[in-house]
Amino acid sequence: MTRYFREISVTLALAALLLALAVVAPSFYQAQPLLSLVAREAPTLVVTCGMALVLICRQIDISVGSQFSVCSVVVGLLTSLHWPLGLLVPAAILLGAALGALNGALVAGLGLPSIVVTLATMVTWREGLRWLREGLWVDLPRDTQWFGLSQTVGQWTLVGLSLMILALLALAMRHLAAGRFVYAVGSDVEAARLAGIRPRWITFAVFVLTGAFTALAACMNVAQSPQVDPNSGAGLELKAIAAAVVGGVAISGGRGNLWGALAGLLLLACVGPALTHLHVEAYWEKATHGAVILLAVVADGWRNRKLDLR
Amino acid sequence: MSFLPSDSSLPNPSMKTPRRSVLSRHETVLLIILAVEWWFFSAGGRNFNTLDNNFDIIRHSVEIGLLALAMTAVILTGGIDLSVGSLLGLCAVLFGALWRDARLPIGWAAALTLLAGVLAGGFNALLIAGLRLPPLIVTLATFSLFRGLAEAITHGMDTYTHFPETFQFLGQERWAGLPAQFPIFLVFTAGIWVLIHRTTFGRSFRAIGFSAEGARYAGIPVERRLAMVYVLAGLTAALAAIIYTARLGQAKADAGTGYELFAITAVVLGGTSIFGGSGSVVGTLLGVTAIAVLNNGLVHMRQPREVAGMLTGLLLLIALSGSVLLKRLATLRQRWQSFPKPTPRISTL
Repeated sequence: MTRYFREISVTLALAALLLALAVVAPSFYQAQPLLSLVAREAPTLVVTCGMALVLICRQIDISVGSQFSVCSVVVGLLTSLHWPLGLLVPAAILLGAALGALNGALVAGLGLPSIVVTLATMVTWREGLRWLREGLWVDLPRDTQWFGLSQTVGQWTLVGLSLMILALLALAMRHLAAGRFVYAVGSDVEAARLAGIRPRWITFAVFVLTGAFTALAACMNVAQSPQVDPNSGAGLELKAIAAAVVGGVAISGGRGNLWGALAGLLLLACVGPALTHLHVEAYWEKATHGAVILLAVVADGWRNRKLDLR
Repeated sequence: MSFLPSDSSLPNPSMKTPRRSVLSRHETVLLIILAVEWWFFSAGGRNFNTLDNNFDIIRHSVEIGLLALAMTAVILTGGIDLSVGSLLGLCAVLFGALWRDARLPIGWAAALTLLAGVLAGGFNALLIAGLRLPPLIVTLATFSLFRGLAEAITHGMDTYTHFPETFQFLGQERWAGLPAQFPIFLVFTAGIWVLIHRTTFGRSFRAIGFSAEGARYAGIPVERRLAMVYVLAGLTAALAAIIYTARLGQAKADAGTGYELFAITAVVLGGTSIFGGSGSVVGTLLGVTAIAVLNNGLVHMRQPREVAGMLTGLLLLIALSGSVLLKRLATLRQRWQSFPKPTPRISTL
C-alpha cells in the first residue's frame, strides 16, 4: 500500500472525478466525444512515456515539444510526397532518435546539465522550424487521415497503439535488466557505476528513446487531422512533465512508474472537459492544471516530512 | 536541483587554485562576442550604430534584464524559477484591473501590484523553502497557475488600454536624455550587484548553491535565505510587469510569455553555473546585452525574428560546450605537466 501510495491515490482521485461527473453531468459519457478526447491524448501519452523514462533517469527533457513539431511537419511533408506508411514511420523515428541523440551526447558526453541543454535545443528547433516554414500549415492528401480508415476505427487504433506501447514499456522497465539500469542510474549514479552499469550510455540511450517516442507520437498526431499545425508541440513538454509528476514519477529520479503517469495524464486530460460540463468557464483550465500539480507535489512534501520525522 | 553531478565540480584541496588569467574568464569571452556582433551589425546593417537605436535596444531589454538579474540570485542558490514570465503576465493584468476596474489611482495600483508580486514569490518560497519541494517542479506548477489566473481574470481576451500619459512616459519617453525606464534599471542593477557581490547576505546565496548542507553547518539560515531569493524574484517580476505595461501601453494575459526562458538563457550565457555556487552580475548583464544586440541587429539586417531566436539557442549551446571543453583541456594539460609524479590514490575502507 505505502509503496504504491501515489499511484493509488491518483487513480482514486481520477475515479472520484469520473464518479462526480457521472452524477452531475451524465452528458460527459457520450461514446463519441469521450473516444475523441482519449484519442486526442494518445500522442501525449506516448510522449509522456518517454518523459517518464527521462525523469526516472534523473534528467529532464524540455525540448520534446519542439521535437514533436519538427517531426510532425516532416511527417506531413513526406506524406504529401506519398511515402508509404512502412517507410514513413521508420524515417520519422530515425529523425526523432537523431534529435534525441544530440541532447544525449551533450548531456551524457559533455556532462552538461540536461535542463540547459534541452532549453537550448528547444529554442533552436522551434525557431529554426518557424524560420524555414514561416508558420505554414501542411496540407495532407485526402485519404491519409485516420490511415484511410473510418474515424472511429482510426481513433481506436491510435488509443490501442498508445496503450500497447505503454504496457510494453512498463513491462520492460519492470522486468528487463536495461529497465532496472535506468532506475539504478536515477537513484544513484556512483552506486550504479560501481555495480558495473555505464551511466553515460544509459543516459544517452534514454534521450535517444525519448526522441524516438516523440517522433512516433508525431506520426500519431499527423494521422488525426487533414492538416499539420507547425505549432502542435507547443507546451507539450510541460503537459508531459505534469502528467508524469502527478502520476508519482519523482523529479529527483529513481522512483515512479508508467501506470502512474497514465493515471496522471488522464486526470489532467479530464479536468478541462469536466470544467465545461460543470459550467465553469474554460479559462480556468490552465490555473486548475497548476493547482493539480501543486496538490500532488505538496502531498509528496508532507508525506516525506512525516517519514523524515519518524 | 539534482541532476548528474559534473566530474570536476570539486576542487582538489591539495592543489593551489591557479589564478585565472583575464583571457580565460567568461566575461572576456562574452565581451569579444559582443564586440564581434557590434562590428558585424555596424558594417552590415542600416542605422544600427545610432543613438536612437542604442536607446531602442535598452528600452526593449529592460524587462528581461530585470528578470535575469533576479534569476541570477535564484540560480546562484542552485534553484530555478520558471514562473517569472507567467507572474509578469498576472501582475500586468492585476495592475490593469486595479486601475481600470477598481478605479484606484495609478500609484496605488502600482504599489498593490508590487505587493502581489511579493505575495506570489512568497507562495513559491513557502513551498520551496518551507516544504523543501524541488524548485523546478514547484515553479513549473506556478508557471501554469499564474498564467491560468491571468487568463481567468481577463476571460482570455480582455485587454487593458488607455493608461494615462504620465504613466506611459515611464515606458515610452526620455528622461534626462535617457529612456525613462533606464534609471530604474540602473538603480536595480546596482542594488543587486551590491547584494550579491558586496554583502555577506548575498555571499550566502553562493554558499547555499555550492552546498546547502555545508552552508547550514556554517550557521547560515538556509531556508530563510532561499525564501528571500524567491520573494525577490516575485517582486522583480511585478516591477517588470509595470514597466512592460508602460512600454506597450496595454496589459493582456499573454504578457511576458517565454520571458523566463530568455532570462535563464541570459544568466547561463553570462557564465553562472546552473548547478549554483558561482556566477556574477556583470556576466548576466553581458549575457542580456549579447542577446538584445543579436535580436536588434538581425532586424536591421532585415532577417526574420526567428533567426535571432535560433542563433540565441545555438549561442547558448556553443558557450556551454566551449566552457566544458576548455576545462577538459586545462585538466589534461595539468595532468600532462604533473605526469612524472602522479598523485597517490588512497583507497578508503
